Amino acid sequence: MISLTVNGQTRETVAEPRRLLCDVLREDFNLTGTHVGCEHGVCGACTVLIDDKPARACLTYAVQMEGHEITTIEAVGEAQLSPLQRALHEEHGLQCGFCTPGIVMTFEAFLRDVPDPTEEEVRDVLSGNLCRCTGYQNIVAAVLKAAATMREARL
Amino acid sequence: MKPASFNYHRPQTVEAAIGLLARYGASAKPIAGGQSLGPMLNMRLARPEHLVDLNDLVELDFLRASGEVLEIGAMTRHIRIATAPEVRRAHPLLAAAAATIGHYPIRQRGTIGGSLVHADPAAQIPLIATLCNAEIIVSGMAGTREVSASEFFQAVMTVDLRHGEMLTAVRFPVLAATTGWGFRLFSRRRGDFAIVAVATTLSLDGDGRFATVDIAVGGVDSVPLRIDLSGAAIKGEIPTESRVSDMAAFVADRINPDDGATIPAEYRRKLAAELARQALHEALERTRGVAS
Amino acid sequence: MSETGPFHYIGKPLGRKEDQRLVSGRGRYLDDIVVPGALHACFVRSPHAHARILGISVDTARAIPGVAGVFTGQDLEKWTNRLRLAPPIEGLHPTEIATLPTDKVRFHGDPVAVVVACDRYVAEDAAELVEIDYEPLQPIVSLDSALAPGAMLVDESLPTNLVSHQKFAAGNVDGRRRQAHAVVEASFSQHRQTHVPIETRGCAAVWDPGRAHLTFHAGNQVPHPLRSMLAMRLGIAETQVTVISPDVGGGFGQKIALYREELTVAALARHLRQPVRWREDRAENLMAASHARENLCRTRASVARDGRILGLELEIVEDFGAYCFYPANYMSRVVAMILTGPYRIEDYAFEMKVALTNKCGNGPMRAPMAITSWVMDGTLDAVARELDLDPLDVRRVNMLRASDFPYRMATGEVLEDITPAETLESAVKAVDYDAFRRRQRDLRGEGRYIGLGICTVVESTTYGSAFYKSAGIAGSGHEAAWVRVEPSGVVNASVGLGGTGQGYETALSQTVAEGLGVDPSQVSILTGNTDVAPYGMGSRGARGGTAGGGALYLCALKAREQVLQIAAHRLDLNSAQELRLLDGQVERQIDGRWRATGLSLGDIAKIAYLDPTRLPEGTSPGLDFSLTYDPPPMTYSNSTHACEVEVDVRTGKLSIIRYVVSEDCGTVINPIVVRGQQQGAIAMGLSGSLLEEVLYDENGQNLSATLADYLVATACELPNFEILHHHTPNRRTPAGIKGMAEGGVMGAIGAVTNAVNDALAPFGVVADRQPLSPQYLWSLLQNAPTASRQEGKERSERHE
Repeated sequence: MISLTVNGQTRETVAEPRRLLCDVLREDFNLTGTHVGCEHGVCGACTVLIDDKPARACLTYAVQMEGHEITTIEAVGEAQLSPLQRALHEEHGLQCGFCTPGIVMTFEAFLRDVPDPTEEEVRDVLSGNLCRCTGYQNIVAAVLKAAATMREARL
Repeated sequence: MKPASFNYHRPQTVEAAIGLLARYGASAKPIAGGQSLGPMLNMRLARPEHLVDLNDLVELDFLRASGEVLEIGAMTRHIRIATAPEVRRAHPLLAAAAATIGHYPIRQRGTIGGSLVHADPAAQIPLIATLCNAEIIVSGMAGTREVSASEFFQAVMTVDLRHGEMLTAVRFPVLAATTGWGFRLFSRRRGDFAIVAVATTLSLDGDGRFATVDIAVGGVDSVPLRIDLSGAAIKGEIPTESRVSDMAAFVADRINPDDGATIPAEYRRKLAAELARQALHEALERTRGVAS
Repeated sequence: MSETGPFHYIGKPLGRKEDQRLVSGRGRYLDDIVVPGALHACFVRSPHAHARILGISVDTARAIPGVAGVFTGQDLEKWTNRLRLAPPIEGLHPTEIATLPTDKVRFHGDPVAVVVACDRYVAEDAAELVEIDYEPLQPIVSLDSALAPGAMLVDESLPTNLVSHQKFAAGNVDGRRRQAHAVVEASFSQHRQTHVPIETRGCAAVWDPGRAHLTFHAGNQVPHPLRSMLAMRLGIAETQVTVISPDVGGGFGQKIALYREELTVAALARHLRQPVRWREDRAENLMAASHARENLCRTRASVARDGRILGLELEIVEDFGAYCFYPANYMSRVVAMILTGPYRIEDYAFEMKVALTNKCGNGPMRAPMAITSWVMDGTLDAVARELDLDPLDVRRVNMLRASDFPYRMATGEVLEDITPAETLESAVKAVDYDAFRRRQRDLRGEGRYIGLGICTVVESTTYGSAFYKSAGIAGSGHEAAWVRVEPSGVVNASVGLGGTGQGYETALSQTVAEGLGVDPSQVSILTGNTDVAPYGMGSRGARGGTAGGGALYLCALKAREQVLQIAAHRLDLNSAQELRLLDGQVERQIDGRWRATGLSLGDIAKIAYLDPTRLPEGTSPGLDFSLTYDPPPMTYSNSTHACEVEVDVRTGKLSIIRYVVSEDCGTVINPIVVRGQQQGAIAMGLSGSLLEEVLYDENGQNLSATLADYLVATACELPNFEILHHHTPNRRTPAGIKGMAEGGVMGAIGAVTNAVNDALAPFGVVADRQPLSPQYLWSLLQNAPTASRQEGKERSERHE
């Protein structure tokens, strides 16, 4: 039996040590917004936050996460879309949408650290998330737009 | 792509971790950030019976810059090394290299100890450790020993860690403010392991002539190579464009890469020369920046 | 014409309806569907490229706790029918594929057995314990070895590995060669690639023994054809199968065929009377899903002094891999058929060879004809080099002009309503060609090498049934739709497409809205369930907009006609001629102005459903419409791509400085969606040209089975794209829709390679294969002729 804190809630499940965090989130907790795209840490689709920092849920074993706080896409923009989610919609920064939750999680964290990034910085961070549909241009535009919106909201 | 079964251990102290590693020996594998070991476990390329999780060893997450030495705990994450002011001050080359490791989420989890022990011959941290003669601190049941980077890396993904030992820290000599440094990494995509990476540090004397130069090359052999420049007769030379190019050619002559599946040896060699040239110029720029 | 043109709803940049759920992680992809009690399948795959199966021992694997069963090809032979492909195409050998191989494996990753267990972890544990005795055979890993005399056979039922061979000639290329000022030869080698949808393949099969019915969940582009194939291979009726395709994480052509793994899972669910699901892992996806593109083209152009092409010959050879899930001539045929594209070339001949090898089988990947425009414009660049002409002038002298259309290509296909000369000129203007040439000359003086590549694309988009007939392929190009105005006046509509991210729920709602006269927000598009959608041909090529959007638009027009007839009756008018429906309100034209009538679509619907005695005489109750639509034999879009690059001659590193595309894809249903498709297609073309490569070693071992080895471009390797729009409607399709989304791949491949060759011109070297890796470009420069021809030319120019 392991006990995890996910999106502020304590959740318990029985899991072998080898079970990937992404599998436990999806299968045991029905948090299916975390997508599994490669299981070897390259594609970034499964990115979640561990103690507010982005991390691959496929390179983490659920058992390791006892005592840590996990945040998944389900916790972002629960009541209404976050500025980043809204910008992704407005800038057409997604097509099939499979990579999108990982991108949202990465940049929700990044924009907290770097509120006014350059396009180059955004592309550097985005390089950890593969998208096969968009060619990235609109995702970059969406992140920059969300950053601006969030900066204005803070003023 | 799911790992084979393993037993999971979560020691709370270094001592306890060492105890577990000693007890289980070759059937145990420590896991730090898991950014390299995770894929190997998932692909069943690594299948330890016991996984010893080091992530609770917060005592190994530290940066200590004291005078001549920057000591970094094994569990310090790349992101901290890339961004912490004390690393940027004490060893800006290490900070710059760490900022290029993998991707942003990878750097949040990956650790300096993990990178050193994983010992990918093209990786950034082993390259800088080799260049700078870092001292690697290894602890085991018999106590602690220090290994120089040049002896620590033995072969591809093989390091001088004995039964029951773990890497606990690494010490870098602080880079003097007058030291120029350069780092060049060439890969197909952002975040990939380097085809070739070159790092250099150098200093000039009062007349603007070469005083010391060190160069190391990654990705061209089974371990990062620190190039022996004694035959190049650099000391006291004026750092002209052609002198720099000669040094780069000298570096290329000292390496002997293998032909890879897609990368011919000769390409790696020429690439090493070009990256060495660029890194030397970058380092010279920095010394001039300091001088002016 | 503006983007909206004569339309109210078509052409509006509406944000996508599907985004709300997708950005918040509430999409519903295959693995998000909970199937209680489902077992998990894991396939045991061949470690050999080519080997005879001598024996399979499953006992150890079966003994693992949690394992429900282990099955082999022998088992599947009993429960399924083989796939026999035997279209009546001259020169194409019939082929047959067992569900799982029983005699020999044909590529590294070939599925040999399957484990079914309580979860994927246990299934993988057991899969490791399946013992297979192989006798390795000589692997065939190149076209040369496949076609060598006496070569080992990949498919032992064929006389040789040459599975398909056709020739064609129009006009007199031999005569043209003799008349020519020069004969220019060029070659183009495109490497093996794969689709890499971020969601891999997978399925969940539920057999209901009581109803004897299979519900098959699978992310798929063509749900109805998949259903037909499942029924046929399982030996049951189509009425016994429902295919449900939920949100799909990308397809790009990989999710069309019924693959062996999917059929196996369906058969096992029926056999075990328990649901079975399978999620392909990434290694399997890269190794064994479907590959694409490995082909070699050689051209021979007979040209006049001014670069005009008098005759063109093409030889295309394709490495098709080990199995035929599609007729082997299919992809190469499209290349050969449309090669001449935007140029006037009357005398044209081609020879087309497709060979089997011990690699994963090929299939269509976004732009199956991807190489076409590179081959054509690359040939023109070769002509320019050979004759010392400006490559732009060579394009202009050969280009078809507005007055040439409709133009019957040498292959018989008819081009109409396209504007290649216009897109060429607008792209050239946007990049300021002359200024570029000056900048290029100046930078060369500094040891920097920039290049500009131009590539004009004529993209075959929508294939009508007449095309299938003439190509000898069983199948049709029509599409089916239904539109139902519900009693409250909201609208459900359906079509037989299978979306994989194209924004159908938004764009197609605009075509229904346009035809009917309601706001798109009132229209729901239902796709991906074969019990709901009408039997359609699904999403492939670029047919979604033209065939699917066209069918829905026509069906909605039919609905509107009836709605307005009812309205006319309610308003005591003799005809509906003065009436229109806009935003769901019936309006009447009085003295040239549209005025409200007070009647809404909801009012009409209420009568139609709940008070049908008030309908005009002879009108059936309800508002339920359907139709099928067969597009013209072929529709075309066109574009010109201009790519500016810099090559670092010391490292071979290629940087894309600027990318401009000028595109004419006719009427645009939703410009946001279209721009996204343009960007995505170019990105896939560039990623493939620069980075991606499926790699086999000399033993047929796949060396690119991880995403660290198969290099898909990240955000740091791709530029921003500048897009110029033209909108010339197709006069023969509903609303003038042409279709698009593959041309970007074609243009990118050509533009970037032509740009590299332009940059490297001073060295007298030509990149004639991809990927354009730094080591490849560097190696070209190592072998450069010592005296640079181009520099010589520039010197002589200065002397003049």
